[in-house]
Amino acid sequence: MRSASGSDIRCVLGMLGVDVHSKGLRTLARLLRDRGVTIVYLGEHNSPDGMAHAVAVEDADVVGVSFSTSTYVPHTTALLAAMRRAGVADVPLMVGGLIHPDDEPTLLNAGVAAVFGPSSTTEEIMNFLTDLPRARDRAAS
Amino acid sequence: MTERPATESTPKWLQDGSENVSVRLSRTNTWGGLETRAWYGPEDAPKLDYERNLGDPGTYPYARGSYPDMYRSKMWTLRNIVGYGTPADTRDGLARARSAGSPGFDIVLDTLSQEAIDPDHPTFPVEVGREGCTLACVADLEQLLDGIDVTKTDIAWHSTVLLYPMLAAMARRQGLSLDKLQGSHMPDHVQLNLTGYGERIMPVRLAHRASVDCLEYVARHSPRWACGFPQAYNLRERGLTPAGEIAVGMAIVNQTLHDLAERGVTADDIAPSLAWVSTSDIDLFEEVGKYRALRRVWARTLSERFNATNSRSLRLRMACHTSGRSLTYQQPYNNIVRATVQTLAAILGGVQSVETCTYDEPICIPTHEAREIAIRTQQILAHEVGAARTADPLGGSWYVETLTNNVESAALDLLERIEGMGLFTAVESGWIESLMDETNERIERELATGERVLVGVNTFARPDEHRPARFSFDQSSIAEHVKAFTERKSTRDQAALSAAIRALHDTAARGENCLDAMIDAFELDATIGEVWGTFRLALGYPYDPFGVLSSPFH
Repeated sequence: MRSASGSDIRCVLGMLGVDVHSKGLRTLARLLRDRGVTIVYLGEHNSPDGMAHAVAVEDADVVGVSFSTSTYVPHTTALLAAMRRAGVADVPLMVGGLIHPDDEPTLLNAGVAAVFGPSSTTEEIMNFLTDLPRARDRAAS
Repeated sequence: MTERPATESTPKWLQDGSENVSVRLSRTNTWGGLETRAWYGPEDAPKLDYERNLGDPGTYPYARGSYPDMYRSKMWTLRNIVGYGTPADTRDGLARARSAGSPGFDIVLDTLSQEAIDPDHPTFPVEVGREGCTLACVADLEQLLDGIDVTKTDIAWHSTVLLYPMLAAMARRQGLSLDKLQGSHMPDHVQLNLTGYGERIMPVRLAHRASVDCLEYVARHSPRWACGFPQAYNLRERGLTPAGEIAVGMAIVNQTLHDLAERGVTADDIAPSLAWVSTSDIDLFEEVGKYRALRRVWARTLSERFNATNSRSLRLRMACHTSGRSLTYQQPYNNIVRATVQTLAAILGGVQSVETCTYDEPICIPTHEAREIAIRTQQILAHEVGAARTADPLGGSWYVETLTNNVESAALDLLERIEGMGLFTAVESGWIESLMDETNERIERELATGERVLVGVNTFARPDEHRPARFSFDQSSIAEHVKAFTERKSTRDQAALSAAIRALHDTAARGENCLDAMIDAFELDATIGEVWGTFRLALGYPYDPFGVLSSPFH
């Protein structure tokens, strides 16, 4: 049973590495909050293990990272590995920012649940979030 | 990420791509949110007071331009950004840009170098040389500038942290006098705190101290070296309006001039070395108003608040880099048009240098082809359009004069609020960051409702997009470069280096100017990570903001 609003979704958002261009992610955090999503905003400069730990302790339904630098594939791969180590590999990971379409298959094959590049809309992200199983549903299944 | 209109709320005309609505008036506010009227007339002019508020170009308060003959006496400098891979790679890029006709260069560093993190930091091997040139010690500089005389060339470094002391150390090694150093960098560290570095990488009080140290030293030792200060470009890109640019930029300037005065450096000692780093967004008239208002605010502040009397202090020089944020990933060739209008705004506004963004900026770092188009854009504006013929060509327009006044009064209101709470409080409390967040959220909402039209994004979109080529370069040399960087460390005079690092630590902890001590350490092959880490430690912050490394000198 899911509602179309984001009222029961817990979403962790953050940036990895040395990327400072967090304008887009900060704005997304506000827009999703306005739609009822609970946002745990980790800010910039997270390590993969730090972010995976946050996903675990926050009991997140979903985690999102954003990149403006071209190094997103290795950073994302490192985060997925860290999430496996932290036992939260089942939490869907969405990746956004300046993602080149040529790299989308690589990211999806690595285990990313969704890629939201420069042409993506807030509604598309919201639709993705409302269709996700919640953490407690996953635990029950 | 774009907040595109939801189907049911989308205005009919936005859903309809037909030609009868394709050039409909979609907005009456400026891009920055100022209200405008349908027309302006002489009744808006009485407030002008030509002598007091405008003045001829080259005369106080410089609203109409900083020089009497403007571009007849000196054209703006056409600049291009270059920087990728190793210093040798970037050297190659400089040669290519020069052969395409770019007389001025801006060298951009990779993210690690900009954050003063060494390329062998174990956490970030993939970042080295990726978004700019890796540059972490004097040996890197020597490689990049081999055969270039730094007292005779005008390189603009898109770099804040430690660039000046590193270059000064190289000059000293070459026996060159610092008072002949030429070129510029952007020592506005507080701006970095507000644009994603945050308190962790760039605590505001440490940031401000670094700026004051650097500017004091430049004023005393390198009068020909220019400082891009404030670096308002990044603040605009992050989420400030044109009025916000003036307000936050002046708040940083005022605090810095005040603290420099306490060290005995007057406004007339430093202001002639400063140039405001600005941007042009797409709203041509608003940006022209901004440049004009900014020169006036600067002149009056320097004169009335800081008692500057030298005309070189009062007339503001401005460097413009057109807005990267305004460019769209969708239909990227449209960005050539955007960058052209923005470059025109800068020229009509009377700036001293322009970098025109390449159209592929939202996709990758510039390809050589895209860079050439950016160069040609400026050449067309310079040689064919005639935009530079006459100073302040929009001056006297009832509309532009009113906009100039309105941008100025909005800026002064905001500046008063920031100074009311104090710059450091406004930064540390997150107040300025919230201001930028609110602007960004408003823009997204306006895109959703169609109140703001971005062609190719929230309307006139096309599903079958083709992508321009991505920039790529041979990255095989980077690993070799990092290896050489690491190996060089063991060849240094460890005793002398340790003593220099200790001296830097003690100087910083005593609250004295650190630049000489930094230059000494760089001469002994210290790295940016070591010098900046020591400066951080002395001021009570962790050596490595990422908490992985500790100082090798204890």
